[in-house]
Amino acid sequence: MLRLGASRVLQNGGGRAAVLGTRTQASAPEKIEVFINDKPVMVEPGTTVLQAAAIAGVEIPRFCYHERLSVAGNCRMCLVEVEKSPKPVAACAMPVMKGWRVKTDSDLTRKAREGVMEFLLINHPLDCPICDQGGECDLQDQSMAFGSDRTRFLDKKRAVEDKNIGPLVKTIMTRCIHCTRCVRFASEIAGVEDLGTTGRGHDMQIGTYVEKMLMSELSGNVIDLCPVGALTSKPYAFTARPWEVRRTDSIDVLDALGSNIVVNHRTGEVLRILPQTNEDINEEWLSDKSRFSYDGLKRQRLIHPMVKDSNGDLRPCEWEDALIVAAKALQAADGSVGAIAGGLVDAESLIAMKDMVNKLGGEAVCTEEIFPNAGTGTDLRSSYLLNTGIAGVEEADLALLVGTNPRFEAPLFNARLRKAWVHNELDVAMIGPKVNLTYDHENLGDDASIIQGLLDGSHPFAKRLSSAKKPIIVVGSSLLARPDGSTLHAKLLQLSQKLRNSCEGGADWRVLNVLHRVASQVAALDLGYAPGVASIRNAPPKVLFLLGADEGAITREDLPKDTVVIYQGHHGDRGAEMADIVLPGAAYTEKTATYVNTEGRAQQTQAALVPPGMAREDWKIIRALSQIAGVVLTYDNLDEIRNRMTEVSPNLTRYGDVEEANYFAQATDLAKRVQGSVAPFPLDVPQKKLEDFYMTDPITRASATMAKCIVAVKKEASNKYHD
Amino acid sequence: MASRVAKATARQVKPLLSIDQSEARKRVLNLYKAWYRQIPYIVIEYDIPKSQDQCRQKLREEFEKYRHVQDIRTIDMLVIKGQMELKETVEIWKQKHGIMSYWRDSVEPRPKDFLSKFLDGHE
Repeated sequence: MLRLGASRVLQNGGGRAAVLGTRTQASAPEKIEVFINDKPVMVEPGTTVLQAAAIAGVEIPRFCYHERLSVAGNCRMCLVEVEKSPKPVAACAMPVMKGWRVKTDSDLTRKAREGVMEFLLINHPLDCPICDQGGECDLQDQSMAFGSDRTRFLDKKRAVEDKNIGPLVKTIMTRCIHCTRCVRFASEIAGVEDLGTTGRGHDMQIGTYVEKMLMSELSGNVIDLCPVGALTSKPYAFTARPWEVRRTDSIDVLDALGSNIVVNHRTGEVLRILPQTNEDINEEWLSDKSRFSYDGLKRQRLIHPMVKDSNGDLRPCEWEDALIVAAKALQAADGSVGAIAGGLVDAESLIAMKDMVNKLGGEAVCTEEIFPNAGTGTDLRSSYLLNTGIAGVEEADLALLVGTNPRFEAPLFNARLRKAWVHNELDVAMIGPKVNLTYDHENLGDDASIIQGLLDGSHPFAKRLSSAKKPIIVVGSSLLARPDGSTLHAKLLQLSQKLRNSCEGGADWRVLNVLHRVASQVAALDLGYAPGVASIRNAPPKVLFLLGADEGAITREDLPKDTVVIYQGHHGDRGAEMADIVLPGAAYTEKTATYVNTEGRAQQTQAALVPPGMAREDWKIIRALSQIAGVVLTYDNLDEIRNRMTEVSPNLTRYGDVEEANYFAQATDLAKRVQGSVAPFPLDVPQKKLEDFYMTDPITRASATMAKCIVAVKKEASNKYHD
Repeated sequence: MASRVAKATARQVKPLLSIDQSEARKRVLNLYKAWYRQIPYIVIEYDIPKSQDQCRQKLREEFEKYRHVQDIRTIDMLVIKGQMELKETVEIWKQKHGIMSYWRDSVEPRPKDFLSKFLDGHE
């Protein structure tokens, strides 16, 4: 994908000026009047016929046109009649002219559509009854609406060999109508040049030319884009029809972005997960991990409460028994109680857990994910949020990524950066290991001392930063987990504030962006959890509560022998392995719960299913345990616990809104006092290659689909056709 | 004029059986007596572990449950249902547990507080 801006530079030698020129033209353009079916509409010059019709409320049928992709104009389905034009015009590609009279329902238009439809169907197989797209197929719908009622073709249909492009996307290329949406998506949005077209006319094929995998973390989106059943989901193949599934709107929790999803389920299991449009977060895309790891929700689940018997084996038991054993341990601990919250925990359980531990006399409630605690630490929200916002980065003109690989830590955030890189001349530089971000960027090296160099202006890149109009600094949470994380965070805070004061973005422009990797972190910090498990490691409590903590931040070796470990969560993973008591909780598809994404936006998941076996919603387990342990929490239902959350942090219940944060200047003043030196080892990111992307949490580790992806990607390394 | 017509129509609903309160009352008392007289046979024929006194008490209880009902049509409907029950009982169309279910011995009250709901699996 050639950068749009770059091509403009070639044309007129002043790329940025030209781009800004078009954007600041707001004062200049005079609206022109066009008539859609004799209805007058005022539109801006350059609007296509199709967009003008949409403004007038008329939808023109289309296959290849997609509003987020470049215009191809090759399906010809959107042909419409324009008065005084000798031929019908392709509405998606033709800009309207003043006074045009477009007829979207005239005889000529209808005849054109019927003809196009007839040609499309010459080679399209009649396999709708066994096609997975059946029921949500554009071709099916539009041939019913605009197609001919009989066929005139008795010749043999063309057949095309199916391509193997990996374990996620199934191809039935005979069904392809060559709209090239997938090709455009791959090259423009995903940034992989694997898909393309070969041959012409009757011999045209979409594919990878040589057999290779579609190596992208966003590959699942081509399934949604495909208007026919040529690209369908491999894990979902032949499982259900769209009209028989139940749909529940929810939130994805497998990364920190909180992408909006629709959970499709039936007979008590998740059949597939689709993205839901949210312009501020995921647009209409979804990462492969969020889309395809749902089979992990059925494997390795904890379905019984379990208590260790005298032989040291975990045995299933009734809730009452498990809760009494746990409550006895809590009472015997006499206040020496600690809790560690993992990455998938919702805000309701976080507040319940904190309240219970505090009522028992404990203070050590912390998150598994580490965050620096020096300076203001986590007292000011601005120091741990993605302050610019996910959509906000589209305005930036220079992005500095520090110790993060957004492509795998937050694929849709990376897609935004790529969008800005393509359309808005965003320049990207990175401090960290050399990785492929799907767009060109400057790697400044992986030496941590570069940050100091940028701060005092001695590094050559400092000039670029200070001359940027709207710079952003994206800090990875893995960087902040280093032993010298506090020092680095303090320096980055100062650098951001310096840039913020000097740049032209104005008072509302924010420079510092922390990109988290887990969904629970922001809510946990908002609720006053201590980041990192240092306090537990330094003073091990008698009872340690692992609330979905599965990353192994604390192991058995860190704890004295007599510490009772209670694990509460939904998967039998590292946490349950070291536990004495196991309490089965609900996964994100099974509870109505609050999550706050990395930009500070509270959103709620909706329960699509009931938790399996004897598993219960997490906050209710804590509430029940608190009562048996003699420290009753005062909330009995969702409303009451949300009132409590609002008391602690009001932003947690303002669903859908970003709660902005400020006090950068104060945070910077305090950051200046942070002492410490930068460790000599280089900056690293945990996820460097595509195979590192798929398994990062208990759900994805239990998913067979994700395992297949890793195998396929590793195997692909030996494919000589990959660069 | 119009209001008087409306009033007249409002008063004239089609009766089910009884045309006034006293007739409805008579039907209720007749039903009660019929049940009362059947009780000795019920105790013997169904072989239930209840005495005649306990049955009479239950009969009274079942009628008292609807003491507040004033509407004649509702009373009539309840009487019809009571007669159907009685018929089923007399003809031994019911079984032993059908009679015993009036006492609802085996019905456990649904838990009210959070903890018992949680342990029961309702929460």
